[in-house]
Amino acid sequence: MQIYLPIAEISINIFLLLAMGGGVGFLSGMFGVGGGFLMTPLLIFVGIPPAVAVATEANQITAASVSGALAHGRRGGIDYKMGFVLIVGGAVGSYFGSMIFTILKATGQVDLMISLAYVLFLGIIGGMMFVESVRSILRNRRGDKPVVGRRQRTWIDALPFKMRFRTSKMYVSAIMPLAIGGLVGILAAIMGVGGGFIMVPAMIYLLHMPIKVVIGTSLFQITFVTASVTFLHSVNTQTVDVVLALILLIGAVIGAQMGARVGLKLKGEQLRILLAILVLVVCAKMAVDLVVQPDELYSVSSVGVIH
Amino acid sequence: MRSIRYLFLGCLYGMLLTQTALAERMVTDLSRHTIEITSEFSGTELLIFGAIERGIPLDDGGHGVVVEGIDYDIIVVVQSARNDMIVRRKELVGPIWVNKEFRTLKDVQGYYAVTSTRPLNHILSNEDLQSLQAGLEQLKIEFVEPVSSNDQKAFRDGFIRNMKAKKLYYQQEGTISVLDDILFRAILEFPANMPVGNYQVDVHLVRDGVVLLSEQSPLEVGKAGIERLIFMFAHEYPPYYGIVAVIVALFAGWLGGFLSRKLSG
Repeated sequence: MQIYLPIAEISINIFLLLAMGGGVGFLSGMFGVGGGFLMTPLLIFVGIPPAVAVATEANQITAASVSGALAHGRRGGIDYKMGFVLIVGGAVGSYFGSMIFTILKATGQVDLMISLAYVLFLGIIGGMMFVESVRSILRNRRGDKPVVGRRQRTWIDALPFKMRFRTSKMYVSAIMPLAIGGLVGILAAIMGVGGGFIMVPAMIYLLHMPIKVVIGTSLFQITFVTASVTFLHSVNTQTVDVVLALILLIGAVIGAQMGARVGLKLKGEQLRILLAILVLVVCAKMAVDLVVQPDELYSVSSVGVIH
Repeated sequence: MRSIRYLFLGCLYGMLLTQTALAERMVTDLSRHTIEITSEFSGTELLIFGAIERGIPLDDGGHGVVVEGIDYDIIVVVQSARNDMIVRRKELVGPIWVNKEFRTLKDVQGYYAVTSTRPLNHILSNEDLQSLQAGLEQLKIEFVEPVSSNDQKAFRDGFIRNMKAKKLYYQQEGTISVLDDILFRAILEFPANMPVGNYQVDVHLVRDGVVLLSEQSPLEVGKAGIERLIFMFAHEYPPYYGIVAVIVALFAGWLGGFLSRKLSG
């Protein structure tokens, strides 16, 4: 059954979209990742204009993260003060990201920028995940235990503008969470990702936040920042397709449920290697598309109205 | 006095009769005058049909055999409203292909189709085809920026290839059938991504290299129902659309989480 998407302005099979939502939802439930960095490339592969794919995916992530954020909030798993600082950074970042996006869209370079950003980030993240999971499998075979020690003081502790975060029991400079939030905001605006894959490690390894508030706080920030991205893209480029976002969400909700159940039965390291390989395959496909001479060198676009 | 007046009127009537008997008349219509793009829309067809009132005695033309100069030809041109469009060319920058040069096309159709009874260059001279804007080769494409003749051809060809690939531009010769030199029908196809707005359908009746008659009908293409509403809302009230998109996502996300918690116990 074909469905006409009003903003993407293409006709596409609704079951294909549901399956994509379900598939990525399944993976995100299984691996506990957001899935934006897989969904956006998939949408581009099936013919959704890249700019619409990015903006719509931001909208879908708002929906995908809100119920998780609420659940963590009820359990006291959110450091609201830290979340607020991250959101301020994210709001500024998404504003600049959206501005870059709008300018590049007007000059015909937005598709290229999206592809380059994906090749770069998927390459780095896929590569790191692959190396890390291979290492931990080898470590488990040898029976080593990870070394736990008192954390070292780093340059981060020397930054000014310190703030007290009661929930996380921390006293750190506001500059670091602002910078992390800002980077995530830029990525959300130009790549259509939540940015959890960067924010979660940054919160753990750079800010040394307690694990029990990391996921909740990052979901809390993602909900607000992707909402801000949705709004900015709606205003600047009219590329948010609500119909597409809702269809993907339906698939994702169902898929995530099933994925979470399967994920419990599988071993962590093998799972991570699978995910790493998947990420690298998507990365390779996008890289090849950039390098191979396209069949058609010319492309046509209507003269966009810039507000 | 009275008889002279009757005689005059009679002559006038007789002249009118011979006039209508010699000149062709053409009536055309479309299977529909509006096309609505709804959520199930995956392209559509439009039937353009009509009748010719002959201006030549029937026995002059051979039935079923196309005879130059005696049989009628039909050319149908369908085009959408015009807009400026940008054509970009990819070039190799380092290892990757990048959009580099671009040209702006002035007032080009977002949809253009031409069909005819026979190959266009058998029907009319190139100049006539150009003045009717019938045929992809004859289509006038102007550039906003000054452009070299090499680039003009390259960008023009690139543009038409792109539009043909999207099925937005096409030329089908020999697909209009004329029944008994009186009735004709042409079927035009529209892809799902057809631009909205006012279209113009031109039907030209040609015989012996001369355009005898031209008829024009309007065609309106709009987004119908909820799709039209969403599209209009997004483009006319972007900030409100953004807010609604966020609220819808928040609510749908909450509902999804709520339902899956209920279902999983």
